[in-house]
Amino acid sequence: MRFRLTATALLAVTGVIACGKGAETANDSTKTAATSGAPVAHSDSVLRIAMIAKSSTNPVFLAARTGAEAAAKDLSEKNHMRVEVLWLTPPQEDGQVQAQRIQQAVNDGVDAVLISCSDAGKVTGAINDAVDRGVPVMTFDSDAPQSKRFAYYGVDDNKTGQQTMAELATLMGGKGKVAILAGNQNAPNLQHRVQGAKDEAAKHPGMQIIGVFNHVETAQDASAEVVRVDNAYPDIQGWAFIGGWPLFAQSLLTDQTFTKLKTASVDALPAELAYIDKGVVPVLLAQSVYEWGNIGVRTIFDKVHLKKDVPQTIPMELVRVSKENLGQWAKQLQAWGFTDVDPKYLKM
Amino acid sequence: MLASQETGLVIVVALVVITLTALAGSHADRVSGTTVNNFLNSNTLIQVATDASFFAIMAIGATIVIISGGIDLSVGSIYALAGVSMALALRALGQASPGTIVVVGLVTCVGVGLLCGLLNGMLVVGLRVHPFIITLGTMWVLRGIAFVATKAESILVPFSLTGVTKASLGLRGGLYPVPMLVMIAVTILGTLYLTRTVMGRHIFAFGGNIEASRFAGLALGRIQLGVFAVSGLTAGLAAFLGASLYGSASSGDAQGYELYVIASAVVGGASLIGGKGSAIGAMLGALLIVLIRQSIRTLHFDQNYEWIVIGCAIIVAVVIDRWSAGVTTRRLSRSAASSTGITT
Repeated sequence: MRFRLTATALLAVTGVIACGKGAETANDSTKTAATSGAPVAHSDSVLRIAMIAKSSTNPVFLAARTGAEAAAKDLSEKNHMRVEVLWLTPPQEDGQVQAQRIQQAVNDGVDAVLISCSDAGKVTGAINDAVDRGVPVMTFDSDAPQSKRFAYYGVDDNKTGQQTMAELATLMGGKGKVAILAGNQNAPNLQHRVQGAKDEAAKHPGMQIIGVFNHVETAQDASAEVVRVDNAYPDIQGWAFIGGWPLFAQSLLTDQTFTKLKTASVDALPAELAYIDKGVVPVLLAQSVYEWGNIGVRTIFDKVHLKKDVPQTIPMELVRVSKENLGQWAKQLQAWGFTDVDPKYLKM
Repeated sequence: MLASQETGLVIVVALVVITLTALAGSHADRVSGTTVNNFLNSNTLIQVATDASFFAIMAIGATIVIISGGIDLSVGSIYALAGVSMALALRALGQASPGTIVVVGLVTCVGVGLLCGLLNGMLVVGLRVHPFIITLGTMWVLRGIAFVATKAESILVPFSLTGVTKASLGLRGGLYPVPMLVMIAVTILGTLYLTRTVMGRHIFAFGGNIEASRFAGLALGRIQLGVFAVSGLTAGLAAFLGASLYGSASSGDAQGYELYVIASAVVGGASLIGGKGSAIGAMLGALLIVLIRQSIRTLHFDQNYEWIVIGCAIIVAVVIDRWSAGVTTRRLSRSAASSTGITT
């Protein structure tokens, strides 16, 4: 028993030490969320928002987090109170874990929840429970329309898919064999984008979709999927990326097959700008991912603290990024707090 | 009565609970206005038990496989396939009475889990291939079937089913004790099965010494078939609880859960070389892992460290468990030697 006890005690100690180390060394915005390791008993002068994105390994959600924390900081200063963002995003996409984290946040006494739903069906019950317990919930990026959430902020996914395919059709002169890169097959927002892309392709009789390809939403997995498909379909002529996953890495910049194809993609984060610069992907349709968090926190502040009425759906428009406005977009990314924007684009 | 190793786990779980309670801080309850501890409140405690219940129920099945010297990597996929099978069956059933929906849902989920477990067992016994390989294969096959069957759709389950798993059983609103109670019931049944039945003792014998078991005339194939069937059955039951509690099922459910399940079994004292383990240990192991995860959030530490913490915890547990087993063996040897007067 003594040994088992020692073992399990070590478990707990390991956990606490590792966590403590994490809290001490975290110089990111987790500290903005909780100003010290120990939770703070909150009063009326504190607004605590749990932010639950789909995956903490996806850079678009890290940008959303930056936006949320910037809004929290700004609102705190302007209103002489503390607005805190608690980052509760799972390491990988899992609707069930998201539902559990909503419950945890509510149990922990947060004032509101801001969530991008990995699986609307899985989180709808948890959202409704949270609302029933007095915690308002707002969705961003990926909605749970059947839930009691008070607002949704994001692009019209069907329209996003349409726009992506329309850009590709323009690049290809309205004809050719194309593929759709579609990320997580279970994400409802991506399913809508795929449908939009298919609908748009149907308007161009010369365009033929050879397939919709799903993959784990990391740059490596997405890049590998693109290469696999390129090899398997030698007659492929173009790609519609309904999310920018493969472009977060540089491998396709020099891929001999891919660089000969036409591609249009959603998202335009710093790592992806080189693809525009080199003409490999001439058009990126940017979601203002920073605004997911920024607008989300401000909307929650209006609703919960200022008791204002807010619209149920707040539409986000895509920004078309090409060589013409590359410098301007790079400066916008830098202004949003991205530190990895290549300086050469800032000089454009 | 608890064995010494489970007693140790209970003490550690209690210590973690006490530590979290002391450090968690407090907040004003939104409904009653009273000040409540951020950790030691009914909502959080039941939520922790609920989160642990899915892992724990599967871990009890997985522990039985591990005691037999095998491993089951397919439990997460069985969970996904059982869940979507239930959701599809209920969709096909259409309008029906709540009782019918619950019975059909439970039978489908548990039935599919049992069939998947039997398939694993038959492949292991029939092909004489190590369970690691067989269940690694079926892990992909079963999830693939779930994916094809659902076309990647997340399928909602009827509200009447959700109502059963979310029954408050007399507690105030927002508290859902059913998964926790099922976890406790499965733990009791698992304990009785392993310690009070002939089949249970045969599993220990099989995992402890397969050659001795063969010479003793045990039906080895039937034992292997049985342990995988139980593992599949518990995965199906966990899927029923998960899908009905959260209101939907998809082919992506429970991805990576097999690792949490095996970790729960190992932290709970199961030996990967077989012959050792218990249902209570598996339940406590799952509870401890979920508590470690919970502590990261309750204490507002950087949650990006979660995987590191759990990984370290598992390695430390297994290494020290092996060390303790070695020490115990040496002690017993010395004791036996001294009682017979043999010196080495």
